[in-house]
Amino acid sequence: MKVTQQASDNILTLILDGELDASSSVLLDTELAKPEILNYQKVLIDCQRLNYISSAGLGVFISHLQSFQDAGVKLVFFNMQEKVHNVFEILGLDALMTIVPSAAEATAI
Amino acid sequence: MTIRQKLETAFLPLMLLSWMVLLVSTLLHASPAAASRFGIPPNWITLTAQAVFVAAVFGYQRAQPNLLRGTDFVGLLRRLVLGPGLLATVCVGLHLLERVVQFKHAATDRTFFAIVYTVNLGLFVIFLAFTNYAWRSLVLFRASERLQREWLWFEVLLGVTLLFRLISWQFPLYFTLPVLGALAFFGVYLSGNQKWVAYLNRRQKLEAVLLQGAILMSMTIFVAYFLRIEQDPRLVAPASQHAFLVLTVFFATFYAVMGLLVTLFNLPTAGVFEQKREEILSLQRLTQLIQRGQTEEEVYAMLFDSAVQTVEADAAWLDILEEDTLTTYQRHNIAEADSVAIRRLLADYNLGQIEYLNNDLNNSSGFRALGLEFEALIVMPLRSTKRNYGTLYLLKRQRQGFDRENMSILQTFTSQTVLSIENLQLMARSIQNERVQEELKIASSVQDSLIPKNLPTDNWFEISSHALAAKEVGGDFYDFLHLPGRRLAILIGDVSGKGVTAAFHMAQMKGIFHALMQENPLARSEREKFPVPSKFMSMANTALVHCLEKSSFITASLYIIDYEHGGFVFARAGHCHTLYYHSIKEEVSYFRTAGLGLGIIRNESYERHIKNQFYDYNPGDVMVIYTDGIVEARAADQSEYGEERLKQMLERTYYLSADEIKTQILDDLAEFSRGQPIHDDQTLLVIKFRASQPEPGI
Repeated sequence: MKVTQQASDNILTLILDGELDASSSVLLDTELAKPEILNYQKVLIDCQRLNYISSAGLGVFISHLQSFQDAGVKLVFFNMQEKVHNVFEILGLDALMTIVPSAAEATAI
Repeated sequence: MTIRQKLETAFLPLMLLSWMVLLVSTLLHASPAAASRFGIPPNWITLTAQAVFVAAVFGYQRAQPNLLRGTDFVGLLRRLVLGPGLLATVCVGLHLLERVVQFKHAATDRTFFAIVYTVNLGLFVIFLAFTNYAWRSLVLFRASERLQREWLWFEVLLGVTLLFRLISWQFPLYFTLPVLGALAFFGVYLSGNQKWVAYLNRRQKLEAVLLQGAILMSMTIFVAYFLRIEQDPRLVAPASQHAFLVLTVFFATFYAVMGLLVTLFNLPTAGVFEQKREEILSLQRLTQLIQRGQTEEEVYAMLFDSAVQTVEADAAWLDILEEDTLTTYQRHNIAEADSVAIRRLLADYNLGQIEYLNNDLNNSSGFRALGLEFEALIVMPLRSTKRNYGTLYLLKRQRQGFDRENMSILQTFTSQTVLSIENLQLMARSIQNERVQEELKIASSVQDSLIPKNLPTDNWFEISSHALAAKEVGGDFYDFLHLPGRRLAILIGDVSGKGVTAAFHMAQMKGIFHALMQENPLARSEREKFPVPSKFMSMANTALVHCLEKSSFITASLYIIDYEHGGFVFARAGHCHTLYYHSIKEEVSYFRTAGLGLGIIRNESYERHIKNQFYDYNPGDVMVIYTDGIVEARAADQSEYGEERLKQMLERTYYLSADEIKTQILDDLAEFSRGQPIHDDQTLLVIKFRASQPEPGI
């Protein structure tokens, strides 16, 4: 699992590469827990290379959902693979989080 | 029996026979009366008898088993003194007796004198043979093959000298002297082999010196006797086997003298050997303690005692570092103030944590200022590659009291100690681990008791279940509850994460299920007596808010089956979709309903994210409920089992009984993920509805 950051203006893009499981979710959690992340307007998560997400991986997003909402930071997922999207959908997260097909739509929101 | 063995058995009779011949011939020489009757035997008979006797005695002794038993050198010497030494006493006794007899009867009869002479000659030869072969076993102790060959040559050459007197031709002196001298030199050379002395301890060496002195004395007695007898005008027998006897006497004496001197000069160093022995024994004791697995305290005490004893320190103390606190563990002849002062001084010099030897403390102004009575100091840290266990300090009053040897032996002690301490700690850790394993086993059996063993049975449906945890305890759960009015509640769920935390929440969820599914006595209508699934989920969500950590969530599905009316209602809180076989439509599909997992939204708004779904079932319908451990099971190529393959399995097996459907699905799953470890808990429930039948007895 690799997490790459791209920051521009008010938008932070995190590119996830690999499998987000119990061990790699710790890495992502430290990124999302940084206080300066709440200064951005939008945090975009590029899921193109995200092959698998475990419940621990989902837990990371869930645990930061409230603080993002409270700070008015939009969390947007894009380029999500079918099977990863299915996991979000089964858990009902698609109704809570913004998931869009492409990067263009993600920035447009 | 080989020729050699035959020869060996012949030695004893030959010895006796030749001695008798010798005696008779001497008597004939001594007594003119007898001689006139039997005639004087020629000299060659006497000489041959002598030679045969000597050869037989030596041969007999040679054939005896080795006199040395193990490394009992002192025992060998003792036997030498007690046995042949006694012969010397007998010899002196006989001689004195003979003197007394001569004194009383000053006759000219030399018979008795001749008998004593012959007996003494026999005793002397036996003494020599015994001594020589005792020396042989000492010379050949751990000897090289070369030395063994040399010894054999020595024996052969000595044997040859026996023949000297048998040949009537007298060798010229310039020939015999160098030959004898060379042989004597050979004996001197062999006498250099005194390896055995090194194996004696101090006490044994002292004893060996005394015993060797006694042997030399016995030898002197014999030699003195014979030297004296030679001058005696009464001796009429031809001169004895000179060359051989002189050589063996010379060798036996020389070896004894050499041995005596070597032992004597080894006495002062015996203490050093003993000390080395003591060091080795201390090391062994330390090593044995390790294997017995004693406490750390005992190991440290053992190190301290051994170190102080071995280097003969006048004062010492041992500091042990435990979790960054230094405690003085053991103290010997030193005041606390002094030890603190020395430690501080060493720290000032930056010498606290390294091996350090100072044999002249008063040369350093710092130590002189402390005004200590000690002149030498060793600092020896107890250290492994990973950590520092403490430091050992040893002091001596004597200048130059310690040496490099002491340092290396202490290094061995400390590294042994560190090894044993680490062993003990490892052992303690593995015991702790075992205890945790044991507790996990208990947790596992407790959790097992939370999973229903007796499935509900009724003639309206059949249920089959399967549960398998990836670790000792898991986060999957399912439960049943009979509700009044021929209704059955089924709960299935999965706590995010695995292991002990998940197991706790799973138990919590079971409690919530049983608490919420109680009949509400205040309910206004029949419908409100039990919460509908969506209501149950939102109540459970509220209950979980306070005890579920932020990143954890629970997925669950609750089904309430009303088999009176042939329908069911369910709500899905983020759990896997329900797989269903519709017997009327002859079709397998998933109920794809919306619904959010528990613990994701932690306020009242959760209610908006959960829905109820109603369905009227028909006889022959099959419902498959499972957790994600089933559909996310992986094959060797990392692909997932998936919803599609599960659906295909039901399409192939819907007509079977619930049990058989479950077995077929599990078999297919095992086939799919063969050789792969189970990475998540797996739960599978199969419910098959049957044609409604009236309740028996109604």
